[in-house]
Amino acid sequence: MLYRRAGIRHTSYPKERQLWPLPFDRYLVTAVALFLLAAPFLVDRLYLVAYLLPWIIWSMAALGLNLLMGGAGQIHLAYGAVMAIGAYTSVHLVRAGVPFEFALVAAGLMSAAIGMIFGVAALRVKALYLAMSTLAMQYIVDFVISHSPAISGGTQATIQVPPVSFLGIALEGDLPMYYFALAVCVVVTLFMLNVQRTAFGRALAAVREKDYAAEVIGVDTFKYKLLAFWTSSFIGGVVGAVLVVSYLRSVSPDQFHIELSVQIVAMVIVGGLGSVLGSFFGAALILFTPIVLNNLVGALASGLGIAMSADLRAHIPLMLYGAMIVGFLVLEPLGLAKIYDNVRNYFLVWPFRHARR
Amino acid sequence: MAPPPQSDEIVLACRDVELAFGGLRALKGLGFDIARGEIFGLVGPNGSGKTSMVNVVTGFYRAQSGTVHLFGEDVTRLKPHRIAGRGVARTFQNLALFRGMTVLDNILLGRHVHMRAGALPSLFYWVWALRHEVAHRRAVEELIDFMQLQDIRDEPVEVIPLGLQKRVELARALAADPRLLILDEPMAGMNQEEKEYIARFILDAREERNTTVLLIEHHMDVVTSICDRVMVLSYGESIAQGRPAEAIADPRVVKAYLGERAAARHKGVAA
Repeated sequence: MLYRRAGIRHTSYPKERQLWPLPFDRYLVTAVALFLLAAPFLVDRLYLVAYLLPWIIWSMAALGLNLLMGGAGQIHLAYGAVMAIGAYTSVHLVRAGVPFEFALVAAGLMSAAIGMIFGVAALRVKALYLAMSTLAMQYIVDFVISHSPAISGGTQATIQVPPVSFLGIALEGDLPMYYFALAVCVVVTLFMLNVQRTAFGRALAAVREKDYAAEVIGVDTFKYKLLAFWTSSFIGGVVGAVLVVSYLRSVSPDQFHIELSVQIVAMVIVGGLGSVLGSFFGAALILFTPIVLNNLVGALASGLGIAMSADLRAHIPLMLYGAMIVGFLVLEPLGLAKIYDNVRNYFLVWPFRHARR
Repeated sequence: MAPPPQSDEIVLACRDVELAFGGLRALKGLGFDIARGEIFGLVGPNGSGKTSMVNVVTGFYRAQSGTVHLFGEDVTRLKPHRIAGRGVARTFQNLALFRGMTVLDNILLGRHVHMRAGALPSLFYWVWALRHEVAHRRAVEELIDFMQLQDIRDEPVEVIPLGLQKRVELARALAADPRLLILDEPMAGMNQEEKEYIARFILDAREERNTTVLLIEHHMDVVTSICDRVMVLSYGESIAQGRPAEAIADPRVVKAYLGERAAARHKGVAA
């Protein structure tokens, strides 16, 4: 039906390997892009700042982690720490008078460098052991940041982000902030999409699937694992900088604790390992479901006149939220992206039930 | 110990290769040469050390002593990906395709040694990677035609039948344009027709792609018909080397395969 493939013929390799070979996918992407571009004029300011902006930023973080977890198959439980390094680097550089453009890149480089130090140590081990050693990174980075007054300004301190400008545009007010985050998100998204169709992404996938077979076709597995750590940490650092500059406006150690790392891991897994679209789905689910459920339960309770104690009222949404995550993963272990893909595949062959992929 | 020949006609030269796992001596001082353009068979009963030998050559096992020279260069201590970079490709006895990827992507991965595979080309895809990717796609499509895989190129590898998977793995190995192709039982579990296909592909690979082939195979009909020379292993030792028909008729080979009494009976029948 909508996604129909019949009659679509590609006559060159670039056309066949374009990002969205089906016209309907292209229309859909265009529509979403137009909506995001026009969003500041279409939606209420509250929704823009409290929903769309964090969604864009957290999606970027999920994309960066997805490169490592979905792309190269390496688990990382310290992505929050990686973002913290980027955030503090950029803020300190900006306060020292460095232009934000450079501070943004430096944030990425700093995260990549420190992330790789832990990466080298962590890459001697696999799977659960890797999870443990990245967890160690989270706690070490947390500790170092909060206990170094030079970095955090003191245990309880919060550092304000001074006004910055990017490429000559002052990042003040909601609009420039939003467009800035959106622009970075577009770059990260395109990068991730391109990774999947270039030699880099294939080499990572080879490392993920069978490391001995990767070696035998000439892939230096150690180098590519490190490269995955490097690239993923670079994105993490940049996202950390974007997060503090355009959303949080101030930086303090408690914003980047293990909770953030786990949140992003959950986004990647619920969204779908290795899926770009899934990162956006996952970020949306993890960020917004608690809010939506909270409002829903509140409305139900007051609307139906059910007397409910305050703590029950507070806990029911959390329980539903947990149940939803489990439910989605039971329904489709490969994540929300796979659910979307199933629907899409259904329409690809509709009205028939089976066809070649 | 004689120095390995320096002639560039010799593709692979192994000398006195010793490999032991604890107390088990898997390879007992093996040595052989493979000349350019040859199809060299490595045969022997199960556990005789064929795959171990190949793993030493490709860098997966490190021999305790002895040397492996590739195109005159000592590669004894190199890692597998470095040896792959020197023009050696191999297939595995138990398939080692990358699940979850399409046939096309698997074969494209075979070209890794010829590709720039950094992160930056992905960031600047349209200016940096597009033409490169297309050029390699062309090479891979040629191979897909050669191996007759056109209609399955977009299938995930895990859904296609075993015979075709073996063929895809051979295609992935050939995609690297190897100078030495090592095939570890490419015909295991195949029927006669599929075997003939693979045999034809191996011969064509040598003719059209100037590949030297090291072939491990149990099907003696294949070995005798396509190999130029064979080496027969038994318990990590070479018990016969030479033309396939002669080597296989060697009494020690018959004994290794069939046992003492059967060998005696065989001699009686032959006489």
